[in-house]
Amino acid sequence: MLDLWLSGFLGLMQVRELAFLGIGMAIGVVFGAIPGLGGATALALLMPLTYGLEPFTALALSGGVMGAIPMGGSITAILLNAPGAAPNAATCLDGYPLAQQGKAGLAIGAAASANSLGGIIGTISVLAVLPVAKQLVLLFGPPEFFLMTIFALVTVASASRRQLLRGLITGGLGLMISFIGYSDVIGGERFTFGTDYLWDGINIVPALIGLFAVAEMINLSAKGGTVSRAVGTVVVTRMWSGVLETFKHLGTVLRGSLIGTLIGAIPGESGTVAAFLSYSLTVQASKDPGSFGKGNIEGVIAPEAAINAKDGSALIPTIAFGIPSGAEMAVFLGILILHGMQPGPLMLMNNQREIYGLVWALTASCLLASSVGLLFVRPLALITLIDADILAPLVLCVAFVGSFSVNGEIENVIVTAVFGILGYLMIRFDYPRLTVVIALVLGNTTERSFRQSMAMSDGDWSIFVHRGTSLVIIASIALTLALPLLRVLVRRARSPA
Amino acid sequence: MDRRDFLIGAGAIVPALAAPRLAHAVDAFPEKDITFIIPYSAGGGFDNYVRAIAPAMEKYLPHKVNVIPTNVAAGGGTRGTNQLYRAKPDGFTIAIFNIPGMFVLQERGGAEYDLAKVTWLGSIGRDHYGIGVGASSPLKSVADLKALSATRPVKFTTTGPEATAYAATLIATDLLGIKSQLIGGYKGSNDYVVAAIRGDGDAVITALPLLRRMQAGGELRILADFEPHSTVPGAADAASLGQPELAEIVLERLIGAPPGLPPDIAAVLSDALAKAVADPATVAWGKASDSELAWAPPERAARILAEQAAFFQKWKKYLAPG
Repeated sequence: MLDLWLSGFLGLMQVRELAFLGIGMAIGVVFGAIPGLGGATALALLMPLTYGLEPFTALALSGGVMGAIPMGGSITAILLNAPGAAPNAATCLDGYPLAQQGKAGLAIGAAASANSLGGIIGTISVLAVLPVAKQLVLLFGPPEFFLMTIFALVTVASASRRQLLRGLITGGLGLMISFIGYSDVIGGERFTFGTDYLWDGINIVPALIGLFAVAEMINLSAKGGTVSRAVGTVVVTRMWSGVLETFKHLGTVLRGSLIGTLIGAIPGESGTVAAFLSYSLTVQASKDPGSFGKGNIEGVIAPEAAINAKDGSALIPTIAFGIPSGAEMAVFLGILILHGMQPGPLMLMNNQREIYGLVWALTASCLLASSVGLLFVRPLALITLIDADILAPLVLCVAFVGSFSVNGEIENVIVTAVFGILGYLMIRFDYPRLTVVIALVLGNTTERSFRQSMAMSDGDWSIFVHRGTSLVIIASIALTLALPLLRVLVRRARSPA
Repeated sequence: MDRRDFLIGAGAIVPALAAPRLAHAVDAFPEKDITFIIPYSAGGGFDNYVRAIAPAMEKYLPHKVNVIPTNVAAGGGTRGTNQLYRAKPDGFTIAIFNIPGMFVLQERGGAEYDLAKVTWLGSIGRDHYGIGVGASSPLKSVADLKALSATRPVKFTTTGPEATAYAATLIATDLLGIKSQLIGGYKGSNDYVVAAIRGDGDAVITALPLLRRMQAGGELRILADFEPHSTVPGAADAASLGQPELAEIVLERLIGAPPGLPPDIAAVLSDALAKAVADPATVAWGKASDSELAWAPPERAARILAEQAAFFQKWKKYLAPG
């Protein structure tokens, strides 16, 4: 085992491989930072260029891109409330309030270090579980998928318990929107109103750009001023405090990394789920849940650790069975095939050097990108001091162009505008956006896995308690629901009569 | 000269004047980049074929332009195919077609295209289908599947009702006399094959290259190979199963352009595609990735479509709207 780890590492430590890794990292940071572009676009554009490269070099380049995307995305999420990629939307929730308080440096510092630690923990986990990767993937069938989506929905709903009714309303709205489009289960389209565009459902990236970036720019324009409300108190050099904060909250990093690793290994689950689940569980576990959404540093650390830890483990279903866990992995799958590596059980046996090399490339890129993020904290944080009259048109322009560039469709821009208005109304009337995002992401999977489970069992509900994995998830759901009650009971018991 | 004579004269002169311009247009073709539509998401089987062929195709076009693979997913491929069908027939938009998948969608209604009117440029390969079960499944043969079917419907994992695999499963099980129940909705072929390995269903019917790869990895056992004569050791074939029609259940990869594409431009594209399929880099990719690559010219592609249309007409009951 160790010789394989070493062989992959040494393969990467060649001048050409390191150079392509660096190029990939730079591209990843830029594509990650621009809302709408993201890893899938970067890899799709690079795919033809890798044609003439050696397979190992192509993997170093791809690993460089994939490892750096999350860091790029977190920078714009924190500074402008504009998530570079869908998973970074979770970072907006507390990262942007920190920027508003003049603590952008602190937030970016924490994001960069949580990214690195999450990446390292994710790598260690992946290296440990690769020998049993196939068994891990096979643990999750439709009943487990269904229960996992319920777990995520329950966790997020519980995290917004101060606004439970409002959370349920926006969650319901998210679910309704997620059912738009062609359903593979029923074999027909729903709520598409005769439009081709809606056949594929609402594209999540333009929706999130609208919900966060556009909504915030409307809000900022309406109020006037700068992102940072306390211009005089902006201390951009706080980044080292941010790094320190991450080390102070190692439990949050560890929890986020483990959630990211687990969710990444489940075929079809996305980084967005990992980030929001990690965020919500951190809120649940916190002694001060009321501070989240207002600039709690743990609200930055938790999703960032999960996003990067997820990157490594997302390779497991992709490589072991050729099932990508999202758009980025789907394009990466194409790169593997283009270079003669056919994902599947045989790849785990025949291309071990390449697999381990790729895992190292992801880790190295993640560390490099975090360093780049820290290096540029100072000039980047100054963005929060630009007046809304100048900033809003620029950000809106980037947001709409980014939304269009997701797949070159003008309808994306309309989706971004509609979600922008919706997001603004949610800010204005204080409705949580957390629930709408998670429902939007998981609605389809929930319905599909439920119907598949029912077909498997001929309508017998006991299928949800047949397997050990299902029972563990059910126990987690019960614990999530009981935790607030237990906490109240403990508090009452401790308080003097 | 009366009006009639003038019109006849003009009718003779106009093509004569236009001919050199058309010849010039063909000589200059292609003067800009060509969009190669893939009606599925990036990373899938059809996407891989196009991305492997596109760089080779650029080498064999008369002028240096880019061939840009463009994914237009949604609706099981309908959206991308509609887009191709509506595009200007100028040779700058071509697409890969899943046949019979696109035919199935056309028959189910809702598609804007008519495959009979598409300008066919050729075919780049076909896959036969087969039946697989998880390596640890107690089912060892098609006879076992039939025996199970006598007690309850055999559960097959598959994708949505719009896809070829769905119709293929219904037709094949009908031909074999197996009572079936489909567990659908899986996202792609790898997904539903893994579902069968995991035990979500009893078996799976899909394209042979994928079944072969999973069998080589020790995860799956191939019970039947729908080729006329099996290339999989130990697996029953269409002949031994007494159902030669099973060999007609295939997945064809046709390349087409919008209706009304001028024949000269179609010939340029077809020639470049033929050479791209035979290019050493493409052949090496096909071998390394276990992808079936075989060129068939436009007239053969049109025949393939007609054969598939005739075959699926017979099984129209399985193509009814979901």
